[in-house]
Amino acid sequence: MAEAALFYKTTLPPHIHSADSLARRYWGQAIALTPLFVIACLTGHAKILRILLICLVSAITFEFLASKLFKKKENLRNGEAVLIAAIFSLLMPPRCPSEVVILGVFMAVFVAKELFGGTGSYLLHPLLVARVFLQLCFPQIMSEPMLLAGEGNLWTLVGISLGGILFLKQKQNYWEISVLFMSVCFACEALFGGRQMPVTFFSGVLLISFFLLADPVAMPLTRKGTIFFVLGAAFLSSRLSPDGFSIRSAGCAILLMNLLTPWLDVCLKPVPYKTKHQVKATYPA
Amino acid sequence: MLKQKAIGIQLERKKGATLINWNLKRPHPPEKIHIPIPAFGRPCAQIGEDVQAGQKIAEPQGSEGVSVHAGMSGVVEKVLIFPNTTGAEKQMIEIRRHGEPKILPPAETRKGWEQIPAAELPKIFQNFGLVTTDPFMEPVHTKLGRHAGARTIIINGCEPEPYITCEQVLTMSHPVEILKGAELLRKTLGAEKIFFAFESCDLEMIELIKSKIYFLKWEHAEVRTVPALYPQGLEGTLLQAWFPGEEEKAVVFPASTAFAVYEAVAQQKPFYEKVVTVGGECVVEPRSLWLPIGISFHDALRACKGVMREPQKLLMNGPMSGTAQMTAEVSVTAGTSAILALPKEVAKEETGEVCIHCNLCVDHCPVSLSPAMITLAAERKEFSVAEEWNVADCIECGNCAYVCPSKRPMLELIRLSRGLSKPAVPIPIHCSKAEIGAVPTTVNQKKRKAGAVIHG
Repeated sequence: MAEAALFYKTTLPPHIHSADSLARRYWGQAIALTPLFVIACLTGHAKILRILLICLVSAITFEFLASKLFKKKENLRNGEAVLIAAIFSLLMPPRCPSEVVILGVFMAVFVAKELFGGTGSYLLHPLLVARVFLQLCFPQIMSEPMLLAGEGNLWTLVGISLGGILFLKQKQNYWEISVLFMSVCFACEALFGGRQMPVTFFSGVLLISFFLLADPVAMPLTRKGTIFFVLGAAFLSSRLSPDGFSIRSAGCAILLMNLLTPWLDVCLKPVPYKTKHQVKATYPA
Repeated sequence: MLKQKAIGIQLERKKGATLINWNLKRPHPPEKIHIPIPAFGRPCAQIGEDVQAGQKIAEPQGSEGVSVHAGMSGVVEKVLIFPNTTGAEKQMIEIRRHGEPKILPPAETRKGWEQIPAAELPKIFQNFGLVTTDPFMEPVHTKLGRHAGARTIIINGCEPEPYITCEQVLTMSHPVEILKGAELLRKTLGAEKIFFAFESCDLEMIELIKSKIYFLKWEHAEVRTVPALYPQGLEGTLLQAWFPGEEEKAVVFPASTAFAVYEAVAQQKPFYEKVVTVGGECVVEPRSLWLPIGISFHDALRACKGVMREPQKLLMNGPMSGTAQMTAEVSVTAGTSAILALPKEVAKEETGEVCIHCNLCVDHCPVSLSPAMITLAAERKEFSVAEEWNVADCIECGNCAYVCPSKRPMLELIRLSRGLSKPAVPIPIHCSKAEIGAVPTTVNQKKRKAGAVIHG
């Protein structure tokens, strides 16, 4: 009979963990966007691949440089940079000059994300911060149609819908986020009237509800808080611009709601069971 | 009664392996055992004295103490200070086996045990060393005294953690004894009702107890179920689910405690052994078996034919709330329900990353806290903020750490903000490496390295 180890590893419980991980989440979202890019290429929108490639290279480079500069653990393998690049490419007009795209990625990764503490610490959605920054600096370039706002067709709508379904299947987020955002946007559009083409409107709503509201970092820490956040963002998306809902107005609406997140966290703090019921001690001291 | 929404996580149950061998066996007595002496106890056995299994070796001191009984026949070798499973150093009595083990005569049934007045039962519980068979190990008579106003006794047969089947096997093997033990507890407390708590998936056990209640014609007893989710089925969550806000109206005892009560009162058998699950992927023959209090984890594993591969972690109790042990020399106590030897791929070490505010911990907290806020505050050493977010109410079930996609050390941070500076991780035993017996493994080291697994 042989002998096994004399000493064992000691850590605090729990000693088992779920299979969920950050890498799984980021790669899962990035994979969910694949049908959209494939369909876009097949239906004559291959230009988007140029933007995607620039975004990918610059996002990975800036992430790497930031990890060296801020002496942080390098997290390139967890897919966050790929996800940032994929979503940001959808927020840019396909004919946008390369240097503008690189500047946008720099703003998103280096300024809005890393300077504010990196993953998990930023207050405002980095991609939307970069989008608004570029809008202010290069209004003419940024006013050109995006893939999902003006440039696309019914096929891109199918692509983003497929991506949404794939994302929902991963159960990364509350289902209420997408449902409420879409419902409120539709209701506002029906009530106040919008000037967007139906395909553009639907594509934009789907992109925001599935992929831009999927980043939980700058969102409230309770289900109730998240629902308030989404309702506010949806309402503001439709009312911030006289033309009704657009991806640009939705970006500004989400940034405004991001500012309200700490307040929502405190106001909608969960009530502990013991406070609710005034429980007497039942365990031995 | 308010209906509470059950919050919890569905864990892989992994109970099949330990349920293959249903027979509750007693292993061959080990060379020596270390029996812990409780705080309110004083050794009464002399060094060198020959003791029989079940013989009193420590007297209770004061009304809160219980007597301690020898787990096996042998010679009292010494009284020593030895670390227990929580790492704390405790006074223990070492009993060394003397010669070949004797077969004990069957215990005599006490005449007229059902007519014993309720006022006399706490004294019996104290003299027969009865403590609750949960991690609190509170003397039964003290717990009953503390819950004098309770109107309901809950007998808990739930085992929400993976691998553990000791309560299930005991309940299936001795249902009537458990029912009678529960009735004795009810009589002592003067309670009106008995609830038998089981997980909704344990249908066989539910039907068995229901049929026994029917045959006994007990109208004051009923079987209730909880969803098979962790941590539903633990003492706190049972009370929370069935008596929200009125927890003092009920008292929970594990089914194995009810069985020990029956044995003490009816069979006059002191509490010196209990059913423990020895399991995990590394154990050759995982099963639930009777183990004397004080037997080392090493000998318990040996009783199950050892381990077939080196465990990464050796746990006392379940993988969600159990304590990782540094060595296998620690002893089984009344609070030990399982000894688990888990391999690397199951109990793997995870590196913590940053919180992404995914809300999973908030959604899975059974006491409605915000573990993310608490731990973020603890990371910044802002303990007053953690207090504002009700860190004191945490029951340390481990759900938040289990579901966290960032694998953050949630429990460590929670304990830090609660002022529990050092976690309950066992400290090294004060003896040389040579003195510590290794866990026996049935696998040839060379062949194991080559990938071949050989039993025997």
